[in-house]
Amino acid sequence: MVENPNPPAPDIAISVRDIKKNFGFIEAVRGVSFDLRKGEFLTLLGPNGAGKTTLLNMLSSLTRPTSGTATVAGYNVLDGNPALRKEIGVISHSSYLYADLSAFENMLFYAKIYGLENPKARAVEVVAEVGLKARLHDRVRTFSRGMLQRLSIARATIHNPSVLFLDEPYTGLDQHASSLFKDYLQSLHTQKRTLILTTHDIQRGFEMCDWVAILVRGRIVYMERAESIKRADLENIYIETVKKNMAPQ
Amino acid sequence: MMNQFMRQVAAIVWKDFTVELKTRELFVSMFIFAVLVILIFIFSVDLSIVKANEVGPGILWVAILFAGTIGLNRSFMLEKENQCIQGLMLAPIDRSVIYFGKMLSNLAFLLIMEAFLLPVFMIFFNIDLISHLFPLLFVILIGTIGFSALGTLLSSLSANLKTRDIMLPILLYPMMVPIAIGSVKMTSQVLAGEGLSSVMNWVGLTLCFDVIFIGVSIMTIDYILEE
Repeated sequence: MVENPNPPAPDIAISVRDIKKNFGFIEAVRGVSFDLRKGEFLTLLGPNGAGKTTLLNMLSSLTRPTSGTATVAGYNVLDGNPALRKEIGVISHSSYLYADLSAFENMLFYAKIYGLENPKARAVEVVAEVGLKARLHDRVRTFSRGMLQRLSIARATIHNPSVLFLDEPYTGLDQHASSLFKDYLQSLHTQKRTLILTTHDIQRGFEMCDWVAILVRGRIVYMERAESIKRADLENIYIETVKKNMAPQ
Repeated sequence: MMNQFMRQVAAIVWKDFTVELKTRELFVSMFIFAVLVILIFIFSVDLSIVKANEVGPGILWVAILFAGTIGLNRSFMLEKENQCIQGLMLAPIDRSVIYFGKMLSNLAFLLIMEAFLLPVFMIFFNIDLISHLFPLLFVILIGTIGFSALGTLLSSLSANLKTRDIMLPILLYPMMVPIAIGSVKMTSQVLAGEGLSSVMNWVGLTLCFDVIFIGVSIMTIDYILEE
């Protein structure tokens, strides 16, 4: 393993340097770099096909970058070290839950796979934390979309990760479910976890974050602290930035 | 470390069995299909002309392989629903844990199906399996291990393809030829009353392919699951 000549500072949770990913001739991510401190929340906005999911897949070690480096919770994603995956949780628009198992059985399975102590107790605990204890032994197939997303939070946090990646988690949620989901997200943020959220919902993405970044055509073309942006301006900033960077070059 | 590996493999097997106990989709479809294959052959073969010992083993293995393919197709489809395979790949486990977990589940489902199929085969072909039971079970076990080892790898590969239902048998059957021939030969000789000692060359060949298939799977599963 080649040592990183510029290792990230100890308070940096995620450090990305010129990371790229090609699928054949298609450049999905074209050199992204940023740092995120522990406990910070980054909202990543961008049009469809901008490379948001690919970027998160690389950071969660699901996809190997074509070039560049990234360190998450102190582990280089290129090493494929299983210990990295102990530090991360992923919530996506897919639930990663087995439809024919109950909520308890799903959580018990993940607790066993993560090698947690006392998996049964932990499975019950996380289901209760997301307010689904009454449905503990019901098949996941019978759950509404909102309940599925709450159970996804339980699955992603069962091993108490320090970093969470949220890939368009609001997809398919109604207003009430979105509001509940936002509350759970808020509680994850207050627990000092580092979060990256990708979303198309600009206002919702802006609500809790510390940083806002806009990814267009595989590049971060805008990154600013949330406190320096006026909420009312964000939509215009987004539209103008995307328009400028999507224009034929 | 080894204990942890075994516990994680056991967790995948437990999960697959729990799903199967609730849905009963896999076992029922595999068993009915295997019985149908045997039934069709029994009507096409005149057992007063040909010896059951000679045609039976081939028909038994055709039934096992075809029914097993149904199980293999379903095996990774379960992981594709709700993208559960991503959830597994995000867990802090070696990818070989996923392979061994799925392979042992497939092996166990097939062995259970075979345990129900053998009495059906015995009745239809009027062959005495009881007197050759232990050598027969050994032969079926090593043949089924090879089938599960290769089939699990190829079903993980074909699960991502649009044409997965077609691709799995196209990839699987040609590569299964050595084990299929070995298994049929061994079963035939065992049912003819010859002991295991007389089929050691076939046993050796089948075991060799079992080891090769498992070895190749361990080496390639990382790339297959990632892509």
